Formats: sequence, structure tokens, C-alpha cells
Amino acid sequence: MATETLQDVFPSDTGPDAGREEERSHSPFRRALGRLLRKKIAVAAMTVLFILYGAGIFAQFVDTHDPNKIDLRATQEGPSWDHWLGTDRAGRDIYSRVVWGLQTTVIITLIGLVTGSLVLGVTLGLLAGYYRGWFDVSVMRFGEVVASFPDVLLIILIAATLRPRIINTTRDFEDWSGIDGIVSSGAVDFFVVGIALLPLSWFGMMRLVRGQVLSLRAMPFVESAQAIGVSTPRMIFSHLLPNVLGPIIVTASFGLGAVAGSEIFLSFLGLGVQPPRPSLGFMINDVTARGAASVSVLQNHPEQLLAPIAVIWALIFCWNLLGDSLNDVFNPRTR
Amino acid sequence: MLAYTVRRLLWTPVLLVAVSLFVFVLGEYGPGDPVEVALGQNYTEERAERLREQRGLNDPVPVRYFRYIGNALKGDFGDSFVFRGRSVAGLLGPKLWVSARLFFAGFAISVGIGVPLGFFAATRQGTWVDPTIVAITLVLLAMPVFIFAPALILLFALNLSWLPVSGWGGFWDTRIILPAVTIGMPGIAVMTRMMRASTLDVLGQDYVRTARAKGLGEFTVRRRHVARNALIPVLTILGFSIAGMLGGALIVELIYGIPGVARFALDSIFSRDFPVITALALIGATALVVANLVVDILYAVVDPRITYR
Amino acid sequence: MIPRLLMRLLTKKRFIPFVTGIALLAFVACGGSDTGSSTVASTSTAVPAAVAQDSSSGENSRVAPELRDTESTSASTNVGTDFESRAGGTFRRLWSDPPTLDPHQVTDTTSAGLVVELFSGLVKLSKELQIVPDLAESWEITGDGKIYTFTLRENLMFSDGSPITAADFKWSWERAANPDTESTVADVYLGDIVGINAIVDGDAVSSDGITVIDERTLRVTIDDAKPYFIAKLTYPTAFVLKQENVEAGGDRWTDTPVGTGPFVLDDYRVGERIVFARNENFNHRKAYLDKVLFNLAGGIAMAMYETDEIDITGVGLADLERVQDPDEPLNRDLVNIPPGFSISYVGFNTEKAPFDDMKFRQALNLAVNKELIAESVYAGLVLPAYGILPPDFPGFTGDIVGLRFDPDDPEASEARARAVLAESKYADPETRPRIVITIPGTGGSPSLDVEIVADMWRNVLGVEAEIQQVEWATYLQDLNRERLQAFGGLGWEADYPDPQDFLDILFHSESPGNHGRFSSDIVDSLVERARTEPDPQMRIDLYRQAEQEIITQAAWLPLWFDTEGKGLIKPYIKDYKFTPIIVPKLGDVWIDK
Repeated sequence: MATETLQDVFPSDTGPDAGREEERSHSPFRRALGRLLRKKIAVAAMTVLFILYGAGIFAQFVDTHDPNKIDLRATQEGPSWDHWLGTDRAGRDIYSRVVWGLQTTVIITLIGLVTGSLVLGVTLGLLAGYYRGWFDVSVMRFGEVVASFPDVLLIILIAATLRPRIINTTRDFEDWSGIDGIVSSGAVDFFVVGIALLPLSWFGMMRLVRGQVLSLRAMPFVESAQAIGVSTPRMIFSHLLPNVLGPIIVTASFGLGAVAGSEIFLSFLGLGVQPPRPSLGFMINDVTARGAASVSVLQNHPEQLLAPIAVIWALIFCWNLLGDSLNDVFNPRTR
Repeated sequence: MLAYTVRRLLWTPVLLVAVSLFVFVLGEYGPGDPVEVALGQNYTEERAERLREQRGLNDPVPVRYFRYIGNALKGDFGDSFVFRGRSVAGLLGPKLWVSARLFFAGFAISVGIGVPLGFFAATRQGTWVDPTIVAITLVLLAMPVFIFAPALILLFALNLSWLPVSGWGGFWDTRIILPAVTIGMPGIAVMTRMMRASTLDVLGQDYVRTARAKGLGEFTVRRRHVARNALIPVLTILGFSIAGMLGGALIVELIYGIPGVARFALDSIFSRDFPVITALALIGATALVVANLVVDILYAVVDPRITYR
Repeated sequence: MIPRLLMRLLTKKRFIPFVTGIALLAFVACGGSDTGSSTVASTSTAVPAAVAQDSSSGENSRVAPELRDTESTSASTNVGTDFESRAGGTFRRLWSDPPTLDPHQVTDTTSAGLVVELFSGLVKLSKELQIVPDLAESWEITGDGKIYTFTLRENLMFSDGSPITAADFKWSWERAANPDTESTVADVYLGDIVGINAIVDGDAVSSDGITVIDERTLRVTIDDAKPYFIAKLTYPTAFVLKQENVEAGGDRWTDTPVGTGPFVLDDYRVGERIVFARNENFNHRKAYLDKVLFNLAGGIAMAMYETDEIDITGVGLADLERVQDPDEPLNRDLVNIPPGFSISYVGFNTEKAPFDDMKFRQALNLAVNKELIAESVYAGLVLPAYGILPPDFPGFTGDIVGLRFDPDDPEASEARARAVLAESKYADPETRPRIVITIPGTGGSPSLDVEIVADMWRNVLGVEAEIQQVEWATYLQDLNRERLQAFGGLGWEADYPDPQDFLDILFHSESPGNHGRFSSDIVDSLVERARTEPDPQMRIDLYRQAEQEIITQAAWLPLWFDTEGKGLIKPYIKDYKFTPIIVPKLGDVWIDK
């Protein structure tokens, strides 16, 4: 959960600096992108992420075996031409399980990003900053309530209490409607884990966007736009949103690393997406008996942990690296 | 400033009520009726009814809620469902104290190592030192704690035999070292990065240039002007970093066998010990809210440029 | 019967320490009795046959009074040089928080392992699993087998030095049965006594079946001649408590319990530790150990053992190879742990489609290649089960014809399974109801064998089954209310060495332990006759027939028996004996260093 703190670390209530304001007129994004692409590290991180996410998204095409295909005649084998990363104790292909585990992480991070940060966080932030007043107050207060939970406790609590309810309801629905396979597809798990991770992502983003909008409102270009009667939606989407995109991207980048880390942590505890759906945290849970045998496995059979650990580490590392680079690009002061 | 503080203080109880209400409601709709579980196969409507009556579970939710809050204010969080006859306060007290000390140790390590390291990296910008430090912190930050903890045990306890494997012996005991380092590790990374960024920021400020121009020694400039001002933004994340340590604490308490509160929280959630869960959520939220409050006020005090509306 | 609904296999082989700590905390049984629940957890352990007990024995259940326990006779007298030279020291091990320390509420191995060292009853199981006198000196059984007259030993004392009389037993048993005690097993262990069930049902507060003749004589009348009755008295539900102690302590009397075991409770800090100290008023030879320290805070057992933080641990799969290497220092400490008397299985609710069809259940049994799973996934640490009674358990005959998949001839075995499926009324996948196997816990490997079983069903029979994992609390609740269609992740461990403990309790149609609502008139009548059959050989035979019938009707899919496991114990710990059932044993342990 180490990474969780990162998103909060981004200085959220600071206004945009004057420097960026000047750049606005010269297509700041093209310039930012150009600066980003000149950073070798950023490019490398993006490449790795691209590969990992690509592998996850296209898991059905890049896997070599069915990830749940049990083959008791080939258990715990080392890497071979047939099993690139070997097999686990049920003879399942580790490479394919890693790829499918990545898909789980990809889905969860995207759900987290889209629903949490982008839709909820950005929208509420824009509206709260723009309208202020009671709306601002109530959203901020609500957010503070959620944020004042120790998030781990909240996540575990939600995953442990809501999931069984939702699964039962869905099963009843399946029986009633005759539609099969909703539960077994893992959709419910994605939904629950997505919800459980929401509090992690939306409030930080919302506070950041709101802060930015509050300062932008005082800028001359906003005032003049208001003076010439620009409509509210146009004001929000054409004038305010583009100006807060930079910080949004930086925060989202850190946030994605955090969400990925949390998803893996939850599955490690056995509270994430449930088997048979493969997940990276669960693979480690499985090998180390939820940590109890972790020292023994590290000591005697570290190779069993290598693949999932390397992927998890690379994933989070690259998100943080990218976030860093983006931060440099969009926040020139700390360059 | 005063008005802001007062407002924050007044708002805090409201926040806590909302938090407790939320947990209470979640408990209501969570699965697993504690009475059914307690009775097992001896379950009969009659017995369940009697037990519910005994435990006051039959009253309407608002009544139970207010009764609970009333007692909680007096420090009475009720009795655990699982550990019969034991008060929640009695159960949690010692564990909170253990975890608090562990947290503090982890926190001290984060700050004690992270801040100087970040400052050092910033002052060496342009040399190989800076990117190396940044890279190391990123590598450590991405390491999942459930691997980091056993790796430390393997290295320092088993292979090198420098430190004990597990247990708890209080704050001044060698057994605290490994868990504190594990908990503090992500914090070190975060602190280093924050301190580095903020130092770079300050180094570019006019007053630093002015100080140098005045002919002050480089050491004085750095200590008096740079370090001090750079610390201010780092303050803001102290509250958050405490919250962020919780996840780490959970794994650490499991793997190092520490009788702390995080593991107990997980146990309680799985066994649906709602009096304990509610109390923990309340205590956790209170701690977090108070920590943020203190940080906010501190922030306002040290940096007069900040104004609150 | 949560009690014995022992998830021992589970906890032992596939759970890990924290899980034990976590999920089971509340209500569930857990933990290996021998290496400490936590340790064993990761351990895949177990086998044993060190237990040379006579398996022919229905006799176990009918111990003649003259069968004296050498240990206890020599006991109180031998506080001599022998004691002095061995006394002292602390024995340290991992354990988990017990769901209860009240003997009358105990239903699980974690609690039982502690309670048998703090309390005791009229009789106990010796480490050789014989029923031997404990607080009773002798007993007589009337010719019709219904009236037991126990004579207590002289000068019995509680740990606080106060005397024990027959009236204490009467009070204790009536207290155990009282609904306010909330024992879920009082009817199981004491229900044979006339009048106890009325107390359990709340219709009475005292039992006519328990009569105090004088201070040292207790007469117990049971409802029928049940030879296994005496065996049930070894379970904590029949232990003696001190009335003043229990009544004064209220809900928390177990914080300062007054017992009769070799140890007294010195300190209990939830989630941290339990400390036992020697009972100076013990009625037999006093315990050698000054203290026993049960570490409840968890940790990595192997590492703690290596750094001398604990004295005993199980060995998990990951360490097995290393400790078996003769060059490894730990190899000197390696010991074999006998298998527990336990079985793990997948249960079917025989009232819910499609498990209401015997042919369907048989096909599911026939399709599972247990040998292959045992060998490739569990490295031979489990033994495929084709019957119900574990090897070496009284009544185990080895001649049960199981529904077996022959690993040497997979094609024929698969064909046979398919042929049986074809005869089932659920042969058509289109109309077959959906199958959900529910397993307990949250995430984690406990599901692996169930996953593999489901995979074999799919491959061999084309039968699709979903696996649903729910938390322990919900699982137990659904299990007890018989809501589950099929359930995995379960094991059953014996509480006393009598086949009744498995075959009657788990399969009689009216037994609360029969979670699958299995109902067979044949089985019912066989186990009912066995209850009162006086001839041991005949009794065994009745149980054998019942077991065969249960297997043939495929009430369960039996999975594994325990096999011998590996453990580590420090060389200076002497006379620690691993047993397949929980028995008091720490009183004999001593430290030589």
C-alpha cells in the first residue's frame, strides 16, 4: 500500500503557476508532450506500461494456455518452450496466469480511473469550484468524511460486507432472469473491488481540481469570458477543463499506480477479485500461503515468486516514474 | 486564523458522527447475523430471540446507534461479540498502544531518513547523486510490503542473524527495528521526494539568492533559509503518510507477529465483531482527523502566507 | 457441529497462521492440535502410526474399571527425586486465540488443546488413546449397561485447594446442559444421560439421571446401553468446574479459572499470549514445566524456530526438502507427526437437485483421480480417502469398497464414471440444475483441491460447477441451516476413538451434524443398532456395513485422510508426544538443558 500515499502527495491546493498560463496559448499539450518525449526515462516507463497493459488487455491473444487449465502431470515445472515461465503447483501455466492477472489489474485500474478519478473527481471538482456555495460545501464535507476513514479499513470493510450481499443479489437475479454466468464472469468482483477502491481515488482528484478552478476563476481570461456571456457548459469545458488537465494527468498517473497496488494488496489478502479469475496478488497469496510461508518460499524456492513480483513491481514502478516525469513536465518549478 | 481553527474544531465532531453512522449502517447490512453464528446448529427462533434480547439487538437502529454513541463518549464501546465478556476498550487499549509505538517508530524512520536524504539529493542536483537517490526511492516505493517484509527477515534475521525474527518487546527493543523499517520504508521514499521537490523550489527563490548575495556562508544559507522553508510543504503530508502506513502495518503485524491493532482489525472484520469494528473505525477516524487538524493548524502557524477562508 | 467440524486439514495444510487467527477466531475450529494451529498451518503434515492402538477395538469404549492408569496411580506419590531433577523451564509454542476457555462451550481444537491442560473430568484419554481414570478412581456398569456408578479418588482438589465432591460433577454437567451456558454440543456429549435433553431444551434445570450418592460416589443413568458413552466423558463438555468460581466470574469467569488440570491460567492477553503455570494442587504428579507460553501474535513459525523463539513447529511444503537434507542443522530436530484422525471431504446436500440423485453423486465420486492430486499437488502428504473412518481408527477395517478412480487405467475409469452419469436423471446438461460448491474463507489456497475436483468433473463428465467462496461466519451459518448445495473446505476430526463419532454423528438422518441431510433407512437402522450393541466385534461390523452403505450411496465425496507429517522440536524438549486426537500431554513434558 506504499503507493497510496503518493496521490496525496501531489500538492493539491496550490494554484496553477503563472508560467503555465502563458504557455496556454501555444498549445501547452503539444509542448508538454514534446518535453515528455525528450525524457528517456519517461519514454521507457511508457513503453513498459504499454507492453504490460497491452498484454493485459489482449490477454486472450497473447496467452499460451488457458490460465486455469489444470495439468496435474506437469506441476511446478521450470521454464520450458511450452511453459515460458514454468507451471505452478496445479500445473497451470504461470505466464498465462500473469497475463490474465494483468488483465484483472488493468480492468480494476481503468474502472478506478474512469469512475473514481475522472468522472466523479473531475466533475465534482469542476462543479464545486465553479458554483461554490452549498454544493461545494456539501461535496467537500462528504469527501472529508470518507477521507477520514483509515482507507485500508474502509476498503477491507466494504469488500468484506458488501460483496456477499451483492453476489447473493446477483445470483437471485440470475435465477430469476435466466441469464447465467454474471457471477462466474467475475463482473461482480470487479464492481465490488472497484467500489472499494473508489474512496481512494475520487476525493484527492476532486480537491485538486476544485482548488485549480477556484484560482482560475479569478483569472482575467475567465472574467472576460464571463463578461461576454459565455454559457456555463462552454465555460467549464472549453475554458476551465483544459487548464486543469495537466495536474489531472499527473495525479491520475500516480493514482493508477496506487490503485494497481491496492488491487494487488486486496487480492493478496484474499479480498480482491476471486478465483478462478487469476490475479497477481492472489498468485503470491497462493504460493506463500498468505504470507505465512513467505520467508520459507523466498529462502527455498524464490523462483516461484519471481514472475508475479517482477510484474507487480514493474507496474507500480513505471506508473510512479511516469508520474514523476509528468510532474516535472507540468510543474516546471520543481524541475 | 482563529476563526478557521474554531471552525475546524467544531466540524470535527460532526465528521466523527458521520463516520460512526456510516460504519454502523454498513454493519447492519453486512452479511452474517452474529446471533445465528453464535448459536450454530443449536439455532432456534426462541434462542435467537433470547440472545438478541440479551444483547439489545432488537431495538430499532437509531436507538441502538444513539445508545452506542452515548456510551462511546464515556469510553465504553460495549463488549466484543467474539471475546465474550471482554470490553472492546479493554481489548483494544493495549493493542492500540503497541501499534501507536510501532507507528511512531516507523514514522520517525521515514522522517529521520527521508527528509535529510531529500535535502541532500536536491543540493546535489546535476550530479549523479540526485538521480541515484530518486531512483532508489522509486524502486523501494514500488516494492510490495508483503515481499519486502519477508525479505528483510530472511536477510537480517536468518542469514545475518543480526536481529530477532518476531515479537514485541516495547519501543526500546531490537525486535522493533525490522517492523519499523518495513512500515517506514514507503514513507522514506515519499518524504525524500517531497523534501527534494520542495528544496529545489526554495533554492530558486529570491530570498535565497538575496541571502547568498549578502555573503552568508553556504551552510548558514542552507540551514536557515533553505531547509527551514523547504520543510513547510513536507508538513502537509505527515497526516497522510500516517494513514498510508496502515496497510503496511497490517502486513507487518501479521508477518512479524506483533500484537497490534491492525491485525486485530482484520480478524474482527472477518469474524463480524461489529462492536470492535465500529470502535476501530471511530478511533481510526478520530486519529486521522486530529492529525490532519494539527497539521493544518501547524501549517498555518509556520507559513503566514497561507490564509484560510 | 462446529466442533469437530474440524477444519483441521484445512488449517493444517492449506491455511496459514493468520488465517487461522482470523477467520476462525470466532467460531470455528482450527488448528492442528499438535504443532499449534499456526505452525501447522502451512505445514503439510501428518502421519502416524505411532499410535499403536488396537484398532480392533470397540473395547476402547468399554474400559473396565480395573484398567488402571499407571500414570495416575504412581502420580501423587512420586513427588520425589525424579520430579526435582526434571522440574523447571518454559515451553514455548505458537497458538491462536481460543474461541473460548469455558470447557462446556468448547467445540474446536484450538480451544480444546488449551482446555484439556487446565481442566479435567472423570476419565481421560491417555496418550495411547486409551480411556483411563482421571478424577474417578473406578466405575461400575450395571448388567443392562445403563447405570454407571463412579467412585471418585480420595482428597481431590481444585487448583485453589478446595475439595471436589460428586456434587460438583452434578452441578457441572447440569450447567453444561443449561441453555444459558450456550453450549452447542451439550446434547451431543451428555445427551445420553437421562434428563439432560430436558435441560438443553429449557424444560428443566436438573437431571434425574445424575445422582449424588455420597461425597465420592456419583451414579449416572443413561437412556440406553451405549458402550461409547464413557468415551464421550473425555470431552471437555463433561469436565468438572467449581461452582463458586463460575458464578462469581460471570461472563468472564475464564479469566481466573479454577480447574483440575496440570496447569493453571497465569496470564491471557488476547492476540498476544497465554501463559500457563504449574498447578500446585494437581491431583496427580505435578507438571514438570514451570510455565507454558502460547504465543498468539503469530509470525513466521519456521523462522522463529530457527532463531530459538519457539520450541516446536510443523514443517511446511516449502521447507520440507531443506530440513530433510542431512547436512542441514535443523535435520537433527526433525520428527514425524502422526496423522490426525480426520477426513476432509466435499459434502452434498442430498435434498437439493442435482445431488438428490444417487447416480449423479456416484458419478462425481468416480470421476476424481485422487491419487494424482495427492501425489502431484500435495507431495504425498495426504492420503486419498475412499471410506469415512481414518486408518488406525477404531472400526477401520480397510475393506470398504470405495468409488475409486483407477489411476493406472484412466480411460476405463473415465468411461465408468460417464456410464454411471448416463444412468442419472441429470445426465442431460441442458436440464441439469446449476451447481455451486461453497467453500469457506477469503481467498487463498483452500480452494485448490476443490478447484481441481471441479476441473476433473468438467473434463471427465462435462459437469460444470461454480466455486463460491464466502467468509467463515456466513459459511457456518449457511451450513448449519443446510442452505448449501455442495460444500467444500471441510474436515472432521475425531473427538473420541469410537466409530460413532463419525458414522452416527455425521450420517444419521436426525443428527444435527449431518449437514447434507443424507437420509438412508439402512444407515439409520445400522447405526442405531450399533449404539447399543454389546459385542464389540458385532458393533464394528454394523459400523462397517453402515460405512459401506454411506460410501455406496455417495453421501459425500471423501477427499483426504491425514498422513504422517514432519515437525521440528528442540532436542531439549523431552517426552512431548504427538497424538492424533487432543489429549492432555503437557504435564509430562520436561526440559533438559
